Amino acid sequence: MAWITKNSVAPIERRNEPYLSDELKRKLTDEVLTRYPTRRAATMPVLHALQEEHGWLPAQAIEEAAAFLEVSSAETMDTASFYEEYWLKPKGKYVIWVCQSLSCELLGHQRLIDALRNKLGIEVGETTPDGKFTLVTAECLGSCGSGPCALFNEKLHENLTVENLDRILDSLA
Amino acid sequence: MPLYEPVLCKRIPTPPWGEISDRKLVTYQQYVETGGYKSLDKALQMQPKEVVDIVKAAELRGRGGAGFPAGVKWSFLPPEDGKPRYLAINADESEPGTFKDRMLIDFDPHIVIEGIAICMHACRLDTSYFFLRGEYHHQREVMEHAIREAYDHRIFGPGSKLGKINDRWPQLYLHRGAGAYICGEETGLLEALEGKRGWPRIKPPFPAVAGAFGRPTIINNVETLACVTPIIEHGADWFKSMGVPPPAGSAPGTPASFGPKLYGVSGHVNRPGVYEDELGVKLSDLIEGLCCGIRGGRKFKAAIPGGISMGVLSADEYEAVLDFDVGRKHNCLGLGTAGVIVMDEGTDMVAVARNIARFFAHESCGQCTHCREGTNWMYRMLTRIETGEGTTRDLDLLLELSGSMGMMPGNNICGLSDGANWAIRTIVNKFFDEFETRVTRERGVSLAVVS
Repeated sequence: MAWITKNSVAPIERRNEPYLSDELKRKLTDEVLTRYPTRRAATMPVLHALQEEHGWLPAQAIEEAAAFLEVSSAETMDTASFYEEYWLKPKGKYVIWVCQSLSCELLGHQRLIDALRNKLGIEVGETTPDGKFTLVTAECLGSCGSGPCALFNEKLHENLTVENLDRILDSLA
Repeated sequence: MPLYEPVLCKRIPTPPWGEISDRKLVTYQQYVETGGYKSLDKALQMQPKEVVDIVKAAELRGRGGAGFPAGVKWSFLPPEDGKPRYLAINADESEPGTFKDRMLIDFDPHIVIEGIAICMHACRLDTSYFFLRGEYHHQREVMEHAIREAYDHRIFGPGSKLGKINDRWPQLYLHRGAGAYICGEETGLLEALEGKRGWPRIKPPFPAVAGAFGRPTIINNVETLACVTPIIEHGADWFKSMGVPPPAGSAPGTPASFGPKLYGVSGHVNRPGVYEDELGVKLSDLIEGLCCGIRGGRKFKAAIPGGISMGVLSADEYEAVLDFDVGRKHNCLGLGTAGVIVMDEGTDMVAVARNIARFFAHESCGQCTHCREGTNWMYRMLTRIETGEGTTRDLDLLLELSGSMGMMPGNNICGLSDGANWAIRTIVNKFFDEFETRVTRERGVSLAVVS
């Protein structure tokens, strides 16, 4: 997880409108910066807020976050690239995280992954061409007693079977 | 002897006292109506040092995996100097098989918040960060709401009933992680709190001396702090009436296993879930009693006592007593988080080892070479063995490798690879036949067994 690095050959795609809007800056200044003794400590909440707004973290957004936190952009990139939940590439509208840790594997998580691969026509790590679903595997989601389980964005589904998987996918427009 | 009445599950319906399906969130109002926040009021009548002494006398050991006595940890703090001091609550519950803290947060967040407030008073800590793992989205909402309730009722914030600590009003903030197992390591957690990648720090200095932002910091697990609440209410002797005393003839000061414990059982059992019992329950009683036996009436093959890093108990150890001493008695790492994973006779132990190796290879933070490279080697070798392409050389190297990296051999900063070691080593040694039949023999290679 620690070894994703920025592609320094490709130029950063830029847009004129900032990702970190003045309104978001105000909100973060009032609600988040006050909680920590250093500005840098707000890195994770700032990245979470940016990702919530834009769906992922473009390089320009990370640079803006660094400027806001008064640290170098390399330091913010360092943090952003370390953690699994920060997306440095665009993702689908719904990210399906299927738990693959021991309890879920014992209870048949592979059936779920195979069913999802078939139904969505993508491999683990890919996004459907219409940009709707991204399929990934996750390590322990903390639902060992009710596995196999999967997160659909922020919603956890427990005791999953191939049948109720179909129902969940159909309900996501 | 089973627990007479639930302690941590007092407000959370749990068999045999209640039904899991009846569990619902206990609000601040309901918490107070059932005797909540009385322990805090009682603690506030005492001198901070008295509170620390009670927790020390109760011999409360940390519930997050290492089992370090909480009261002793608290007493490592240097004297106050008027500058900020922190409490970090470790709710980065990411060890596969562990889901006990999640239950406390889901249903009774105020028992934890009360423990936090008592700890802040006792240790003179003015700011607390509740470090919640990123994947716990629902729990974040519950906790944010509970923290707001606590602020509304003057547990924290300006005018708090705790009074000013270090000349500051006490605060409790939620800090959300972003998916990294290593942030459950206490100094990795502190790095994440400071906005950096979660790379564990070299100790000393220990966090109690120089932790978050270079200031004295206490880091405790959610369940540990939840235990503080009933200890203050009922006293140290009551707490020590549950659990297992130190083994006869052991040196004075040997830590025992007192108090209630949440056991999260998953895998091939009929009724998986989080149950409460005193420390020292027998594995067989846990499976056949509270969990209603193994699925499909099949035979027991193996169990992991407390999160995958602890290693494995084989069928011969079905009667193992689950207390903090389990590691010494049954050649595994320890009780860990008491997240028990049960496996029936149909389980492929090579696949189990491969799954565990993949977890550690994926979660190694990459800081120390042995762990970064070693966990990946293990995963590749076990994948080869599972698909029938492994050789005796792989098996040899696997055993050698799993004895030569980590904090115990002394070449890594944190214990992540010790977890990988113990898990893989105990599985290979206790189920050696299964591995041996899967590998092909290479000429001139011996099968050395590393214990």
